[in-house]
Amino acid sequence: MEIRSIRDWNRKWRRIAPLLWLIATAAAAPVIQAAEDPLIMGVFPRLNASETTKRYAPLAKLLGERLGRKVTLVTSKDFPSFWNGIDEQRYEIVLYNQYHYIRSAKNYQVIGHNKEFGKSTIAGVLYVRKDSGITDLTQLRGRTVLFGGGEDAMIGYIAPFYMLLQAGLKKEDFISQFAVNPLNSVIGVYRRQADAAGSGDMVVGQPAMAKAVNFDELTALAVSEQLLHLPWAVRRTMPAQLRESIRSILTDFENSADGKEVLKAAVLTGIGRADDKDYEPHRRMVRAVLGPTLAPR
Amino acid sequence: MRLNLGAKFTLTVLIILAGTMAANTLYFLDTSARFHEQQLVERGRALGRLISLVSPDAILGFDFLLLNDYTREVSSQQDVVYGVIVSPQGVPISSYINHSDPLIKKRLESVNSNDIPKLLLRLDSQDDLIQLEFPITQNDALLGRFLVGISRQSLQSEFRRQLMIQILVMIAIVLFLGTAIHVAFRFNVLFPIQKLIAASRDVGRGQYTLVEVKSADEMGLLTRAFNAMTEEVRQEQAKLHRQANFDTLTGLPNRMMALDRINLEISRARRFDQRFAVLFIDLDNFKNVNDSLGHAVGDELLVATGTRVQAILRDSDTVARLGGDEFLVLAPDVADEVQVEEIAERLKKAISEPHDLNGRKVVAHCSIGIALYPDNGQSVETLMANADNAMYQAKGTAQGSAIFFTEEMNTRLHERMQMEQDLNLAIEAGQLALHFQPIFDSSGQHHRGAEVLLRWHHPERGAISPAVFIPLAEATGQIVGIGDWVLEQACRSWSAWHKEGISPGFLAINISRIQFRRRFSKRLAELMSIYGIPPGALELEITESVLLDDHHQVAEELSSLRAAGLTLSLDDFGTGYSSLSYLKRFRFDVLKIDRSFVAGLPNNPDDVLLVKAILAMAKGLDLRVVAEGVENHDQLSFLAAQGCDLVQGYLLARPMKEEDYLSRLKNLQAGVEPLRLSASRNQRTNSTSL
Repeated sequence: MEIRSIRDWNRKWRRIAPLLWLIATAAAAPVIQAAEDPLIMGVFPRLNASETTKRYAPLAKLLGERLGRKVTLVTSKDFPSFWNGIDEQRYEIVLYNQYHYIRSAKNYQVIGHNKEFGKSTIAGVLYVRKDSGITDLTQLRGRTVLFGGGEDAMIGYIAPFYMLLQAGLKKEDFISQFAVNPLNSVIGVYRRQADAAGSGDMVVGQPAMAKAVNFDELTALAVSEQLLHLPWAVRRTMPAQLRESIRSILTDFENSADGKEVLKAAVLTGIGRADDKDYEPHRRMVRAVLGPTLAPR
Repeated sequence: MRLNLGAKFTLTVLIILAGTMAANTLYFLDTSARFHEQQLVERGRALGRLISLVSPDAILGFDFLLLNDYTREVSSQQDVVYGVIVSPQGVPISSYINHSDPLIKKRLESVNSNDIPKLLLRLDSQDDLIQLEFPITQNDALLGRFLVGISRQSLQSEFRRQLMIQILVMIAIVLFLGTAIHVAFRFNVLFPIQKLIAASRDVGRGQYTLVEVKSADEMGLLTRAFNAMTEEVRQEQAKLHRQANFDTLTGLPNRMMALDRINLEISRARRFDQRFAVLFIDLDNFKNVNDSLGHAVGDELLVATGTRVQAILRDSDTVARLGGDEFLVLAPDVADEVQVEEIAERLKKAISEPHDLNGRKVVAHCSIGIALYPDNGQSVETLMANADNAMYQAKGTAQGSAIFFTEEMNTRLHERMQMEQDLNLAIEAGQLALHFQPIFDSSGQHHRGAEVLLRWHHPERGAISPAVFIPLAEATGQIVGIGDWVLEQACRSWSAWHKEGISPGFLAINISRIQFRRRFSKRLAELMSIYGIPPGALELEITESVLLDDHHQVAEELSSLRAAGLTLSLDDFGTGYSSLSYLKRFRFDVLKIDRSFVAGLPNNPDDVLLVKAILAMAKGLDLRVVAEGVENHDQLSFLAAQGCDLVQGYLLARPMKEEDYLSRLKNLQAGVEPLRLSASRNQRTNSTSL
């Protein structure tokens, strides 16, 4: 009887073991999947894909290593496709400009900001040629203003435009033209292709600018308040622990040798901590320039 | 500077070569420069087209950094000095300036580097800059222009480098080819020419060196031709030497060689204190042999004589033919006169042996004059002159004599020379005078004319016989002037007499053979014309010696005289060799019987027979006969009896001065002077006539 009962138990075990394995497997499946899926890191396409990869792939790799989870860098061919990715929240981690953050703040939460050339902030600047005779913003009435970037450019468009608005000018009071970036807008003024350039204070000292422009011939007609630099954000659905881990790792790069290496590759001097309130000035400017919809007109 | 042939040739080749290569190099470099410039322009166009193609988007997007990248990329190309994109308004919107380019550097000294328009303006007039401009358009809208400047400096630098390389290569080629050509020319042309020059100099020195022929080319042919010429010259020189030193007829040394041998012998004899003899040999009457037997026989006789003389002499002796029938024997190292005399005797004997010439036996004799060294002279000239003098003296003695030179001979010679000098002055000094000996018919009653005779009254020596001075005048040629003077004087006298109304008859004038050679008839015609002498008034007496000369000329001259109406008389008929043949050959009017035949008349049967024969022959030939030397009545009677036409002689009249003869003529014409026949042999003078 004992033998038979052992045989029966074995027979029963053989019948329930696959079932138990299936149950266990089903229960453990989300945990395993979560541990293996890489985090998607998106970077806005102010640089081409190749340059973007070159600058940020090391950072993504080190972040993944320290995080214990692979971080995959995803590039975009242009701003629309990038913005599409933001809209669809395809990126867990994202680096973009201040306007992008203001506009996507519903789904993304800022965790840090760039430190470029040792600075955490940047200011919008309206440049004119010294020999233009323009000394006041109101003198730009009827003139051409060449903005550095499109209407989504925080430093090249929104901040300078904000200053013009503050000076009492309306959009139709001057002719707006757009260069591909703030650097080119300054060059355009320098080359007498426009009367004023909407740009940032970071253009001074840029190696490319030093060759292209003699800043002695230019002057800053107006400078905006200092604005925190480009934001690093994560999806708001990201677990808090993971979010803080990522923030901690990013802001800690400048304290380690390998971190400094990846920062150097990304042409950054560091990544600082940032919270949503830090971008309130940006938000104010965007609303003033683009209206409550925050969308380009 | 004097360049030799090799240097000239090499220099010419080098100049042609250098010129050709320089032209080729310049052509090559020019073509290369054009090609490279075209390449530069093409590069500029390619860059311009590229910029035009890629720039519109950047311009429209105000992407100046990208434009800068474009211009920088384009302008960093080699040789691009600047690349500038300007707006349609001409404002530079992107530029790249190669500040290291010398063209830019130079202009940046005065222009701000940022003042692109001014810089471009400054560069606009730059020759060594290719400046191109390309429009940048989109949809036919002009967005800007791309200006690119390409420097020609690297092209020029390359041109200079190529030029330098080409020049170096050219110099190397020219030097190499020049050296090769020079060496080839030197070995193939100059060396052979130098050998020919050396050989030519040898020929000039009388050394006939032949040059080795080493090639079959033109130089080889030239060398062969030169060798042939050298051989020809050598043979010709030998021939000339032989002709200059040896007698062509006999093969004996000639006068030149004889003089040379004597000279050598003088040196030798002086050194060894020896004596030697110079013997002058002259064949007697050799001319007669020539005249009678012909020149060929005469030549044979000379050859045979030379052979015989050579045969009897020692090897050390020299026999030479001096010319004509004169031979010379040089007998060195003679002990005394006796030995020389023996040699002379042997010579005489050998020469006088009969010769069998052309089937005839000919006997020749000779006269030998001997001069001894050092007794009779210590120079060639003296020895030759003295031997000649001695030979001349020997001629005057018996046939076949040999005479040693003596000082007395020189004295006589000097006398003869003095007489010759005096004779030159005789005419001008009025020492010569004409005498006339009347000629009568054989009855002795009628005067027919006179023979003109020449007399010389020397102021110191008195009357000199014509037998003395006429041969001298003939020998020296003075007879021509004297004879002319005689002719003119005779013509003048006859003319003067005739003008006085006197009938002088004819004048018989003796003509020398020497005169006859000098176009005598022409001169006579001239005189007769001047003095109005009728043809029959003159009778020309010609001796047989005249006829011995060139028959053709004599015949012509005689014909001319006869044509002028002159009477020709053959003088001294019977004393010559071939009188009869002369009579046959030449036409005479008168025969003049020599006094030697008249002298024996009428008693000497030979003379009688001979005179009769002459007279008979003259009648047969229709010739008149004049007998000269009639000195007695018997002779006159005999001649008259035999039909002799005319006579002259002391019996009838002696030669007389002109004034006497004129007086005589006047008397004869007036019939107041009877013929006076005077016979006296003792009063006879030598009346050798001219």
